[in-house]
Amino acid sequence: MRMREATPEERRRFYLEEWDKREVPDFILHTISLREFGFDLDGKGPNNRYNQFTTVEQLCDFLRSRAPYSAYASVALYERPSAREGWLKAELVLDIDAKDLPLKPCGCPPGSVCERCLEEARQVAKQFAEVLAGDLGLRNISFVYSGRGFHIRVNDESVMTLEGNERAQVVDYVTGGVIPSDFTLALGYSQVFRERLVRTFRALGPEKLLEVKGLRKSVVQRLMQEKERVIEMIRRGRLEEISSLEGLGPKTFRSLLEFLTRLNAEFTDGKVTIDTKRILRLPSSLHSGVSMKCLVVRDIDRFRLEEAVPKFLREGEG
Amino acid sequence: MGLDLITPEYLAVLDPFADEAKRIVEASPPLEALPAEIVERAVRRVKWTTREMLVEPDLESIRAEVLSFYLMCQAVASVSFPGSQEVRLISEATRNTLRYRMYDLFKRGQADLCLRAVKRSINLVDLEIGDTIRVDRFTIPREDFYKLRDLKLAEDGLETVDDRILPQYLPRYAVRWTDLAPLLRHRRKELARLYLVGGWAVITPRDLWDLYANFISVRLEDYVQSVYERILESGAQPSGVLARVGERISSLVPKEVFVREEFGRGPAGRLRPEFFPPCMKLALNGVGAGLRNYAVMMMLTPFLSYARVAPSGKVATRMADFIKDISVVREEIAPLLFEAAERCNPPLFQDQPQEKAGIFYHMGFGMTTEPTLSDSGRSKWYRPPNCSKIQMSAPSLCRPDEFCRKVKNPLTYYFRKRYEASKGGGGARDEDA
Repeated sequence: MRMREATPEERRRFYLEEWDKREVPDFILHTISLREFGFDLDGKGPNNRYNQFTTVEQLCDFLRSRAPYSAYASVALYERPSAREGWLKAELVLDIDAKDLPLKPCGCPPGSVCERCLEEARQVAKQFAEVLAGDLGLRNISFVYSGRGFHIRVNDESVMTLEGNERAQVVDYVTGGVIPSDFTLALGYSQVFRERLVRTFRALGPEKLLEVKGLRKSVVQRLMQEKERVIEMIRRGRLEEISSLEGLGPKTFRSLLEFLTRLNAEFTDGKVTIDTKRILRLPSSLHSGVSMKCLVVRDIDRFRLEEAVPKFLREGEG
Repeated sequence: MGLDLITPEYLAVLDPFADEAKRIVEASPPLEALPAEIVERAVRRVKWTTREMLVEPDLESIRAEVLSFYLMCQAVASVSFPGSQEVRLISEATRNTLRYRMYDLFKRGQADLCLRAVKRSINLVDLEIGDTIRVDRFTIPREDFYKLRDLKLAEDGLETVDDRILPQYLPRYAVRWTDLAPLLRHRRKELARLYLVGGWAVITPRDLWDLYANFISVRLEDYVQSVYERILESGAQPSGVLARVGERISSLVPKEVFVREEFGRGPAGRLRPEFFPPCMKLALNGVGAGLRNYAVMMMLTPFLSYARVAPSGKVATRMADFIKDISVVREEIAPLLFEAAERCNPPLFQDQPQEKAGIFYHMGFGMTTEPTLSDSGRSKWYRPPNCSKIQMSAPSLCRPDEFCRKVKNPLTYYFRKRYEASKGGGGARDEDA
């Protein structure tokens, strides 16, 4: 799939011929008059802020007449969105950007995206959502393909009034971003941490492991050679056995654990989650930077990138 | 203490913010007319130990308990500020009191009364403990059930306990984690330290006492903050019984804390940027268009001025109370602020030159670009916003480090860091102002 920037003409075509108000998700449609809308009209950034639409038709008129480079809606609901005042509540959001994954399976450079890293981002999003629904018991969880990754958007009333600190703790929990007090409990954070650790460790290459403070090259080689055994130790919560590997003392093991935990936390951009006034790309709109539609993913297991390809790109390639 | 015939008002003893308590406050005489024993109780309650924390179940005792609680909070708000040592002192005392009361009621077979109080604020259910252990429709592995007990015992440094104590360490209840948001917000609890299943946090009776006691102490801190803001807005100086009680509570701040306070209250001195919190360091480097005013006016101006001039535990109203020479403002603080403004993109004063006067206005000199000592007090000298406020208003500047977890205000971060460095022989001696 070739990702390239859309031309102004293609943007106009997209909004006139293809954009469909039925693709605006209900959680936005039902609260449209309470959200702030922001637009990047010329590709220089979302400078056009403080917009309020009371109906989806007004939004439609704006999109068709201006064909913006990017369109955004706030995660927050306000009494007065056009002044960004009277904050009522905000969705809980996790942003998994394929271009910023800390470990890329494909080797494409940081800042770039390919189908393999998008697939990795999809897997991560699915895992995160499982914890949100399972451990945290949250409902009304939606996935949005953003163009370069995935957004998880939670419209569960019980979390919509949480402030930044609490949201930061949700990020820590979901990503496995803190070392737990116990590694062996079958459920709860202990289990989440083990699963995240397995995923991160599996994706690690020797070069990355050499960044761990105090970890010698010979130990890195041993860890790589015995990767499956180490993963099994993590799975079974027997992390202390890892520190008994030759050349890896308790201190270096702790450094390794801290390193992996830091990597865990980098699978999502925590700043997005704690910002309760963030604007996020509007599902149904065009990500002009890559010429892909931002859209709600009905079934994360069956999502295919082709669903997000706009007509002008398909025709151009066909 | 006979608890057989408990009046409904007794819930106010477990929850001073309950309607029962509010009704007592509404019916109370003016502050100055409060009986001497209530005034005395407001001070003494900070130092209570075990049995002193308990309240007889008669209306007069309940009334004295509630009124002395509110007097303590308002008095502290009138002589100190949110996050101060005084606030921490009364918050901790209240937490210990509540925890002990819950423990005592459980011991006396009055757990239901505690649970009634808890359930007003927190969604709580009993674990179903039978052949399987369940909460809601989720099964908890029996192995985890006992591991949780052992972890709690280990946390308290216990290896074995007798059968009387052991049930306190066995998981028995579950609460919705979202109801614990105030504790997460104030970092009294960490989500990753809770055992969560289907949105329920599985807890022991001891956890319950601890969670609930923390819950009330967090509400106390929020209440003190709201009173403090009301006092600031009114511009009134603390006087009468509030000032007297407040000063007496201040004098009870423990000695080791006083050392810290003395350090803080000692001569102000040269700014030590190495002890600045991450948010202020970021703001000093300059910020983008949407955040310039907030970063320079609301964050840096109060932070640098208080940090340099008035490291005080007291509410400061005028800079002239702390300095004898305006050069501290003109030649030390202002240049730092102007440089930070210049580093913004676009530079703040390029399109908003009037904000130069705004900087001095926020330091209490009124709208001027040539402040003099006699101008001090013409406008309000703003204090730095609390961390929670900064996180809301300027999330991109909030990159907390480990130390941030211990404080609620950037200024406290700076003073504590500076103090700890001096204590550790870091040579953090300051020059006189």
